[in-house]
Amino acid sequence: MPIVQFAPFSSLVQPAFWHELTSLKIDVLKLSDESVPVRASYTAGRTIKDRETGKDVALGCNLTVGGDAFSKDFQAPPNAVAATGVFKNYNTIEEFKAADKTALFNKVADEIWEGVKKNRDPSLLNRFLLIAYADLKKYKYYYWFAFPGFVAKAAWEIGGAWKAADVELFGDAMKAIHDDLAKAPKAYFLVRNNEGKTEVASVEKYEEFFAGVPLYSQYIGFLDPSAIPENPGWPLRNLLAYLRALYPSTTALLRILCWRDVELPHPGSGWKSRFGIIEIGVPQETVDPRPSAVGWEKNVQGKLGPRLADLAPMMDPTRLADQAV
Amino acid sequence: MHALQQQFWSVREYLSPVLRESKFKEHGRITPEEFVAAGDFLTYKFPVWSWEKGDASKARDYLPTDKQYLVTRGVPCLRRATSLVYTDADEEAERLLSFGDASGAGNEDEWVETHAGRAPMSDGAANPGVIDDIPDADDDAPHDGGVSSGMQSLSLGKALEETPDLDEIPDMEEDDLEAGDEATAAPKTTQATGTGIIDSSQVEVAKGNLLQVRTYDVMITYDKYYQTPRIWLLGYDENRTPLTPSQIFQDVSADHAFKTVTIEPFPHSASLQAASVHPCKHANVMKKVIERMNSTVVADQLAKNAGPLSPGGKEKKKGWFGRKSAGGKETAQAPGEDEDAFEGMRVDFYLVVFLKFIASIVPTIEVDSTTAM
Repeated sequence: MPIVQFAPFSSLVQPAFWHELTSLKIDVLKLSDESVPVRASYTAGRTIKDRETGKDVALGCNLTVGGDAFSKDFQAPPNAVAATGVFKNYNTIEEFKAADKTALFNKVADEIWEGVKKNRDPSLLNRFLLIAYADLKKYKYYYWFAFPGFVAKAAWEIGGAWKAADVELFGDAMKAIHDDLAKAPKAYFLVRNNEGKTEVASVEKYEEFFAGVPLYSQYIGFLDPSAIPENPGWPLRNLLAYLRALYPSTTALLRILCWRDVELPHPGSGWKSRFGIIEIGVPQETVDPRPSAVGWEKNVQGKLGPRLADLAPMMDPTRLADQAV
Repeated sequence: MHALQQQFWSVREYLSPVLRESKFKEHGRITPEEFVAAGDFLTYKFPVWSWEKGDASKARDYLPTDKQYLVTRGVPCLRRATSLVYTDADEEAERLLSFGDASGAGNEDEWVETHAGRAPMSDGAANPGVIDDIPDADDDAPHDGGVSSGMQSLSLGKALEETPDLDEIPDMEEDDLEAGDEATAAPKTTQATGTGIIDSSQVEVAKGNLLQVRTYDVMITYDKYYQTPRIWLLGYDENRTPLTPSQIFQDVSADHAFKTVTIEPFPHSASLQAASVHPCKHANVMKKVIERMNSTVVADQLAKNAGPLSPGGKEKKKGWFGRKSAGGKETAQAPGEDEDAFEGMRVDFYLVVFLKFIASIVPTIEVDSTTAM
């Protein structure tokens, strides 16, 4: 059986975030390079129809960091869910280069794992790390994201293939799920489709919600930032690790619902969510201690390295004066 | 000079009185209240749009604090407008658009849509689609003259141009940071089978049909001086790097780049700069469009009124607004929701119409989400 390949997160940093960082650095952080909490959001993967070729083009599996990332009253945009992260800003490019990235990464991965084992808390599963160096004079921002995702020792495999979710769950059930999630978007959720009734619950309620429910009516759902048909998005990875760690006896085979329909489908286009039945390679695997994790974002060249946001053309007064008519 | 001009504009906007009287049918301008009403309608009908508060210190007191401006994020832009370069052969492809008035042929105010249904330039390499960077006196990036600048004028050289200077990226690639992970999906290099969805990172070079998916954050603010909405654009390339002004101009139709579209400070942020379509002509254009739509709406309402009283309003509910066919042709239908006869087009539709107008200035940015209806 083919192994399940997860579409990694891609960071999307709005210029407003760098503006916010600039003022934070000057007014608050100053020379401190302590970690600060940062917030981001992601929503369901989207496709756009190319009017000329008629093909659907998948837009990226984005995690968006905006101008309100440092704000305490951060609110995810409509239909999106929040992710919390650790932000570490270095004062010099040398410090940025020399940072012990493995240690930082492992610390975040440990936090996620602790949230799973100790608190059974799924809210930390999409935690991320962002390290940066801001060259304020040149309006250049070097940054590197990491989205720790746990590696299953024996990879998950997909039986058959990913298919359209409305082949499995019919329109009414899809509509019921949509209506429930529209009220309060959930990053991870459970669905039971029992005796004509479709119900949604949060992931912490796994045991009681699925008690006595036949396997064929159980669905593990998550808001899927990927739009690629055969690749579920990165958040599923840690959700699977969470379920394996807490409920090893019942999670060797899971029915996954990749939720991509934050809007009801337009007339003429179908539901976009995907469904697949996945199995763990070796069911008897032990999940203690913490599995290893991967997830550094690649740069523009496709290598593991930092990215550069050069805002000089949009911020530097002299450059803007040149642009003015 | 530019700074001085901007200062002048902000003072002028500050001093100009808030428009109180509804004038949108007479001269295409709207009051802040109407802006809010039209914005509410837009966000209700098309949830991709939402209201934003913006920077509290920049809040305009004539607008509700939580409804300062409208935003939609991640608007896709599949191709460059510069790849739709106009040639003589396109003259037949021009199409007259009459907003809402099907019987209005012969009127000199028709809207011209060029390149109707035209495929983009097939020969990408022969198309000097890149607007060169304005030479920068203190640009310390080493340009080795001939070859590299020649490359930059080729569309295919774009990837080269968009790669930040390698000298400037700290040399800290750490491929040993994590071992290859077989459960991580690699960027797709082949087209996904079956559903025909292709990944945006995939650049389709076949037949010169270059696909570089950019995304834009689009904001609509209310301009108190011109008393119209004003549109702002912030762009990202396919690697989600912010676009430079010259890159943004590639997505503006040639008639408007550098003339009506400029980079200016975004009014609801302390430091953010964004590309904006200058609103000085908005009122005139909107007036013409509204007049057209209005006459059809009124005529339709009259006809409905003359006919037997039937629950026709209910049946027509779906045809509340003109929709765009795939070719971009307007086939406006009358709003059927209007309960009051002879009222004409309601101001709620203003922003929906406005977006259709903006779509003609930035033809490849899919700002007009109303077509998806």
